[in-house]
Amino acid sequence: MLTHVFAQVVLAQNAELILAQAEGGGGAAFLLPVPEELFAGIIAFSIVFFFVWKWAIPVLNKTLEARQAAIAGELETAESAKVEAESLLRDYRQQVAGAKDEASKILADARDAGEAVKGDIIARAEGEAQQIKSRASDEIAAERERAVAGLRRQVADLSLVVAAKVVESTLDADTQRDLVDRYIDELGGVK
Amino acid sequence: MEELILAAAPCDLSESAVCAPANVNELFEFRETVYFVFGLPITRTVFLIFLVAAFAIALFYFGLRKRSTQPGKFQLAIESLMTFVRDDIAIGIIGPTGIKYYPYLLSLLIFILIGNVFKITPFINLPVTARMAIPLFLALLTWVIFVFAGFKRNGFSYFLGIVWPPGVPAALKPLVGVIEFFSTFFVRPFSLAVRLFANLVAGHVMLTLLLTTAFVSFATIGEIGLVKGAFGFAWWALGLSIFMFEIIVIILQAYIFTLLSAVYINTSVNAEH
Repeated sequence: MLTHVFAQVVLAQNAELILAQAEGGGGAAFLLPVPEELFAGIIAFSIVFFFVWKWAIPVLNKTLEARQAAIAGELETAESAKVEAESLLRDYRQQVAGAKDEASKILADARDAGEAVKGDIIARAEGEAQQIKSRASDEIAAERERAVAGLRRQVADLSLVVAAKVVESTLDADTQRDLVDRYIDELGGVK
Repeated sequence: MEELILAAAPCDLSESAVCAPANVNELFEFRETVYFVFGLPITRTVFLIFLVAAFAIALFYFGLRKRSTQPGKFQLAIESLMTFVRDDIAIGIIGPTGIKYYPYLLSLLIFILIGNVFKITPFINLPVTARMAIPLFLALLTWVIFVFAGFKRNGFSYFLGIVWPPGVPAALKPLVGVIEFFSTFFVRPFSLAVRLFANLVAGHVMLTLLLTTAFVSFATIGEIGLVKGAFGFAWWALGLSIFMFEIIVIILQAYIFTLLSAVYINTSVNAEH
C-alpha cells in the first residue's frame, strides 16, 4: 500500500495527477472567491488602510519634519560654529602675527639693552681701572714720599751721628771731606 | 510520521507515506470553521487574512513608534519603504496629485507583500493572495478607484476618450474604442487579479510538489531502495532553489500590483496625456 501511495505521489508524476484532478473536480471552485474570505479581506484591508491613512503616514510625516528641522538646526549650528571658528582663526592669526612683531621688538630692545649694559659695564670697568691705576700711582707716589721722608730722617739722624762722631774725635780735613763725600754718595745711592 | 500536508484529509499514515490531497484545491482551501466571530466563520484562511492585517499594523507600529530623528535599521527600512511608495510610485507615476492615493498604494503594497510572504513563512506556508478572494477584491478596488477618479477628474470625456480615442484614424476609432473599452473596464481588473493569483498559486503548487516528493522519497527509502531514494535529494535541492526564486516572486508581484494600480490611476486622472 505504501508503495502504491509512493507510486501515486512520486513516480506517477503527482503534478499531472493533481492537475488532472483539478480539471476534473474542484478547478472551477478554485477560481471563485470564497465569501467569508472575501469578507475577511475587505475588513482586514480596511483596517490596514485606516491605520496607514490615520496613523502611519501622519507619524512618518511628523518624524520626517522633525528630522528635517533637526538637520536644519544642526546645519545652522554648524554654520555659526564655522563662522565663529573662522573668526577665531582670524583673531589667532592676528595675535600670532602681533606676537611675532612683539617678540622681534622685545628681541631688538633686549639686544639694545644688552649693548647698553655692555657699554656701561665696559665704561664703568674702564673708569674703575683708571681709578685703580690712579690710586695705585698716588699710593706709589705717597709711598715714595714716605720713603724719601724716612731717608731724610735717617740722613738727619746719620748726620747727627756723624756730627757727634766728628765732635767726639778730631778729624782732619781730608778725613772730613772723605766722610762727607761718602755720605753724599750714600745719599745718592739711596735716591 | 507526522502529517505533512495540512490541506489533505486525514489518512492512515501506517499505510501511506503522505496524505495526498484529492485535488489541487485542497492545497489552498481550508473551509473547516474553527469558530465564529460576529457571525463570520473563522477558517484557517480567514484567520491568516486577519493575521496579515495584524502583521502590517505591527510592522508600521514598531517601525515608527520611536519617531527618532536618528532612526535605527528597522525604522529606516520602514521609512524607506513608505517614502519609496510615496515618491517613486504615487508621485513618481501619478504626479503631484498622486499624494492623494499614497495611503491606498502603501496599504496595497504592504498587504499583498505580507500576504505573499506567508507562502514561505514557517508553520503558515499558505499565501493568502493565492485565494482568489484577495486579489479579486484588491483588483476591483483599484478598478473602482481609477474609474471613479477618471470620471471625477475628466467627467464624461474620460469615458469618451476611451471609447472614441483621440489621435486615432476615424476608420479605426470604433475598433480601437471597443478594444480600449474592454481593456480598461474588464481586462485590467481581471489581469491584475489573475496575475497575482496565478503567480502565487503556481509557486505554492511547485514548492508543494517538489518538497513533498522529496519528503516521500526520504520517508520510503527503505522500500524503494537507496538509488531511488537518492533522487529525493535532487527534488529537495530543486525545491530549495525554487524557494529562493519564490522570494523574488513574492516581492515582485506585490510591487507589480501596486505599480500597475498607480499606472491605471494615472491614466484616469491624467487622461489628457
